[in-house]
Amino acid sequence: MIPARYQPPLPLDRLLLPVGAPGAGDRMELDVLIVGAGPAGLACAIELAHLAQRDRTDVNIGVLEKAEALGEHSLSGAVVNPRAFRELFPDVKDADFPFRGPVERERVALLTARRAFTLPTPPTMHNAGNYVASLCEIVRWLGERATALGVNLFTGFPAASLLVNGRRVMGVRTTATGLDREGGRLSNYMAPNDLLAKVTALAEGTRGSLSQAWLDWQGVTSENPQIFALGVKEIWETKRPLDAIVHTLGWPIPTDAFGGSFMYPLEPKLVALGLVVGLDYRDAALDVHELLQRMKRHPLFRRHLEGGELVEWGAKTIPEGGYYAVPARRSGDGVVILGDSAGFVDVPSLKGIHYAMQSGMFAARAIYAGLRAGDASAAGLAEYDRLVNASFIMSDLYRTRNMRLAFKDGFYVGGVKAGLMTVTGGRFPGRKIAVEPDANVERTLTPGASPGITPDRRHTLSKVDGVFKSGNATRDTIPKHLVIGSDVPAAVAEFYAHMCPAGVYEVVQGALRVNAPNCVDCKATDVLGPRWTPREGGSGPKYKRM
Amino acid sequence: MKIAVCIKRVPDSETRVKIAADGKSLDEAGVKFILNPYDEFAVEEALRQKEKAGAGEVVVIALGPPAAQETIRTALAMGADRGVLLQTQGLHADGLETARALAAELKDNEFDLILLGKMAIDDYNHQVGPMVAELLDLPCVTTVAHLEIAAGKATAEREIEGGVEVVEFSLPAVLTTDKGLNEPRYPALKGIMAAKKKPLEVKPTTPGPGALAIVSLTLPPERQAGKIVGEGSAAVAELVRLLREEAKVL
Repeated sequence: MIPARYQPPLPLDRLLLPVGAPGAGDRMELDVLIVGAGPAGLACAIELAHLAQRDRTDVNIGVLEKAEALGEHSLSGAVVNPRAFRELFPDVKDADFPFRGPVERERVALLTARRAFTLPTPPTMHNAGNYVASLCEIVRWLGERATALGVNLFTGFPAASLLVNGRRVMGVRTTATGLDREGGRLSNYMAPNDLLAKVTALAEGTRGSLSQAWLDWQGVTSENPQIFALGVKEIWETKRPLDAIVHTLGWPIPTDAFGGSFMYPLEPKLVALGLVVGLDYRDAALDVHELLQRMKRHPLFRRHLEGGELVEWGAKTIPEGGYYAVPARRSGDGVVILGDSAGFVDVPSLKGIHYAMQSGMFAARAIYAGLRAGDASAAGLAEYDRLVNASFIMSDLYRTRNMRLAFKDGFYVGGVKAGLMTVTGGRFPGRKIAVEPDANVERTLTPGASPGITPDRRHTLSKVDGVFKSGNATRDTIPKHLVIGSDVPAAVAEFYAHMCPAGVYEVVQGALRVNAPNCVDCKATDVLGPRWTPREGGSGPKYKRM
Repeated sequence: MKIAVCIKRVPDSETRVKIAADGKSLDEAGVKFILNPYDEFAVEEALRQKEKAGAGEVVVIALGPPAAQETIRTALAMGADRGVLLQTQGLHADGLETARALAAELKDNEFDLILLGKMAIDDYNHQVGPMVAELLDLPCVTTVAHLEIAAGKATAEREIEGGVEVVEFSLPAVLTTDKGLNEPRYPALKGIMAAKKKPLEVKPTTPGPGALAIVSLTLPPERQAGKIVGEGSAAVAELVRLLREEAKVL
């Protein structure tokens, strides 16, 4: 089965609207509009405010965020390289950044079903000088800094459509609020808002819908299609302290799939752990949530989790295509694309946050120069691309350009190739490894191949329990935000049910049932199946320390 | 119509409560704070009554720590006109002292209507509204689920056990609001922008020590795991036996 055959096209008619299209309520004008209050968007806002402050000018900056409160849709491992923080806040000491603690010990292990073999840490995975952190906490801290600098943060306002005029991006329209399942208006209905700006910065995070729409509309391509992985993460209060960051390879991920796990101490007895699997896996019954549950029974994890308590659960995709999947340009008339939405992630070192922030800062400098020169055209904003291309963002991604891609042939072949790439500093094999979009990878459903697990609710939990632990309290009566293909056979429905970590898709008597309110906005569905579209503000998870 | 709404900053109802090291307060680390949900009904009702009257002012008043300014901004973003923070250090357990501080702020301002949520979701005291009314010597209607005001005469409905009680009263009056009174609006984008510029007066306040002190806080005992007796009609007899002999509820 090829998932792309059952995937509806990107709903461009909804994602792109001519400016002035009917249906909007309030209208607001800003100098710069940033879509997404993550590390990229907030670093962009802060750097812009710094530049305006330096020159004693006024730049009216607004940041839209779909989560109800800052950080509630942000999820990462995370081990953070502090360099972008240091550049953005030269007067702040490392100890005052919102990190949980420096990486002191690290271990990489290869797992079999019962054992763990410590491996030499690959050079790309050394984390000396980096910090363990919660992205939620980073985002809240950045948000406070931005607010103090006069940036307008609008949480609970997802951007639904790009407003365009000719080739130019003019702003965005937000989603409506207070609609019932059939689209009828409830008593607290609020019409969409139109926000117009001289420059719109798309910092939507992984698999951004407006970013996709703009790239598609403007025909901006990349050498390889972007590919994604899905990570499922949990936070545990444990009885036994953890004093090292741990990464594992191998079991329970099948050898024809790419992925690994992580376990980091936020505090000695507060542990973040998760499992990440590339969405180019072959077995249609592969289920990342379930693999994570199984993984927790392995002695390496069990030792720490025994007697502990799961306090939070979440899921998110990661753009893994690297250098060759970065769009040829990330700027156009009135628009720039930042962070994960542009694919600035280095898989071999498992880093994206400092690239996201740095891209935001570069964008801010280009936007500010453009505003001062009165030129927010593609030519004016191309400075952003030049800054990124000449920076460590692209040189880091170039060095490891083929490593993730080598694993499309499976774990062992990939491992050998990645080793050679490391030894040769990226010169082996010298040319680009071509990949297909994840949705074009053939899947096979082998009945009975995945036995499944029965969650015991102490160490292992069901998807529904996970959704509860994500803080998702989306009301049941909101309109469906997932666009499903018209003829979904039972086998494909089953593939969706396994793929989605939040139990949005179920197979009931051979037919697909969609529990849309469960959705935690991980976007895996948008990569492999039904399209994700923005829904009412404040829907989805409420992550606290993810 | 001049309306005052007394609001409180409380931990989000989704909070996973942890008790602080002193054993008698909440560990606030990582806790998200919100506008008390019952106060949201009060703010919404104040805005609706002002809109219906065609003119007036809605003033929100909070007693609390400096961070309660954010809570006031939320009410201002919904549409209230100005805010007053009676700024304290930390939270206060004593309902009467809270009521005294609020009454002192309210008494010289000639409000037509004073609204409060029927209770705060953190302490469940239900005290402050009626106490404010008593201190100001005003009529008080609690747990209002419906409100009509016309030509200086007011009618409120209260949902009581098994029925509805209809109360008539004159203004000014103090009301506490219940779920069902209205559907609070979401702050609009323009409202959020406007809220930044609305006046918010901060008045350092030191409530009296009060007659109540929290001695200790404890979490409810952990729930025991359930038991599955069996499936289908065959399990009924066993269930009845267990309910009678083990749980002793039959």
